[in-house]
Amino acid sequence: MLNNIRSGVMKEKTPILEVSNLYVTRSNSLVIEHASFTIHQGDYVGIVGPNGGGKTTLLLALLNILPRTEGTIRLFGQNIESFSNWEKVAYVPQHAINFDPQFPLAVRELVSLGRVNRSNLGRTLKRQDWESVDEVLEFMGISGIADRRVGQLSGGQKQRVFVAKALVRKPEIILLDEPIVGVDAETQEKFYKKLSDLNLKKGITILLVTHDLTAVFCRMSKVMCINRWVNVAGITEGVEPEEVLRKAYGEHFHFVFHKHECERVFEDE
Amino acid sequence: MNVSGFSKMNELIDVFRLFGFQFFQHALLGGTIAALACAWVGLFLILRKEAMIGDGIAHTAFGGIALGLFLGVNPILTSLLVSILAVLGISYMRRKGLAQSDSAIAVMLAVGFSSGLIIISLAGGFNVELFSFLFGSILTIDQTDLIIVSILGISAIFILGIFYKELLSITFDEEDARLMGIPVRLLSLAFNLLVAITIVLSIKVIGVILVVALLVLPGLSALQLNLSFKGTTLAAIGFGILSMTTGILLSSVYNVATSGVIVFTAAGIFLFTAIYRRLE
Repeated sequence: MLNNIRSGVMKEKTPILEVSNLYVTRSNSLVIEHASFTIHQGDYVGIVGPNGGGKTTLLLALLNILPRTEGTIRLFGQNIESFSNWEKVAYVPQHAINFDPQFPLAVRELVSLGRVNRSNLGRTLKRQDWESVDEVLEFMGISGIADRRVGQLSGGQKQRVFVAKALVRKPEIILLDEPIVGVDAETQEKFYKKLSDLNLKKGITILLVTHDLTAVFCRMSKVMCINRWVNVAGITEGVEPEEVLRKAYGEHFHFVFHKHECERVFEDE
Repeated sequence: MNVSGFSKMNELIDVFRLFGFQFFQHALLGGTIAALACAWVGLFLILRKEAMIGDGIAHTAFGGIALGLFLGVNPILTSLLVSILAVLGISYMRRKGLAQSDSAIAVMLAVGFSSGLIIISLAGGFNVELFSFLFGSILTIDQTDLIIVSILGISAIFILGIFYKELLSITFDEEDARLMGIPVRLLSLAFNLLVAITIVLSIKVIGVILVVALLVLPGLSALQLNLSFKGTTLAAIGFGILSMTTGILLSSVYNVATSGVIVFTAAGIFLFTAIYRRLE
């Protein structure tokens, strides 16, 4: 089953994110150096690396939120400077789960904000927008809490709400920055399952920053290691996780990785 | 019926008779528009953690009032001009990195208020009219004031109604709003101009010193109720209008400072909602 899933997502498809010779500087220090890689349609990429290695910086640079010092980024074949089709791109920031619990938003209201964009500026959301909201709530399994205040939800529920907000714009690529910090293992596993569904059933390209190496090597098609420089490797049966990770984390790190964990992940489904 | 019963009955009849007076109708209409605009704009200010910008602009507007009285022009119009300049000044200082938000507000507050003081001393000192702008005088609101308050208030409410969802999106997550192609900088500036308009229209009603209470208290009270955004907005507007009408009514009957009673009522509502939240 594992092989089937992987061969499905490993097919070389249209490149949707092409990065060439990227340098990013933050507070006068170089955070990303000489990064060149390509992400294809349908890729499910796990972004790993030590803290402070530049994972969030890379995502923000890819979204053109942070300026870069050098290099080119092409999204859907277009230079990022002239790229305007941002509806195709969704982003779930690191701080999403820690948002102000006093902010008065019900789940349905928060998710509907994903439909607010340049094309409906100054107009109320249409019936189709609300239908999309309800559809995504259903898909993420949070229809039952649609009227609850987001601040009152558990960590796992909040994650799903924020991913629903990102999904409701019907993106073709979604970037998630450590969206599952501080929740129990079971909730994490359910969350990864949802992301796999999105990738396999809806064909959405996913870039996920995570520290969960088991999830990366069991579920994803590529691993991107970031420690100032960026190294992308395809995950296939022949690739040893230790080999890939050592390049990112350095020789002095020791990795313990049990292959049988993957089998367990898929047994649950 | 005993004597005290008769006197209470007379008081009640007096209250009902108040509604027949034009000054009272003007006060209620102008007050309701100001309370609605203040509560709605104020809720966004609280959520953007910018409540003090309201106080800053209100004090800057004082310079505009002094200028208007000095030049013999309607002070609401001159204070509108000065407040808009203050908003643009604060935005400029923040954008160019000259000062953080709170420092920029402090600078504008001080400059605006001191220019008012200079103009007043040049004009020969304080007068009754100036006091009415400092502390509000809703019961003396005339037809011209009411027209200005209505035009400004309805415009502010109208603009807020149109860009309500974009402002919520920016307030909630500015980066994401920018990513979605929402003109964040333009709308943030427009919102700050709305704040200036709302404050200026409320000056005659509640005065520059206390206008911040009308901006902050209704929203803060509504936030205690743990409602959705729509529910919180409606509750804030409701609390604002309730404070205003109660204030006007009580101050007319007992002949005490209207702005004081409005703020006192709003603070009372806040206390009740805070207790409700604790008990919940």
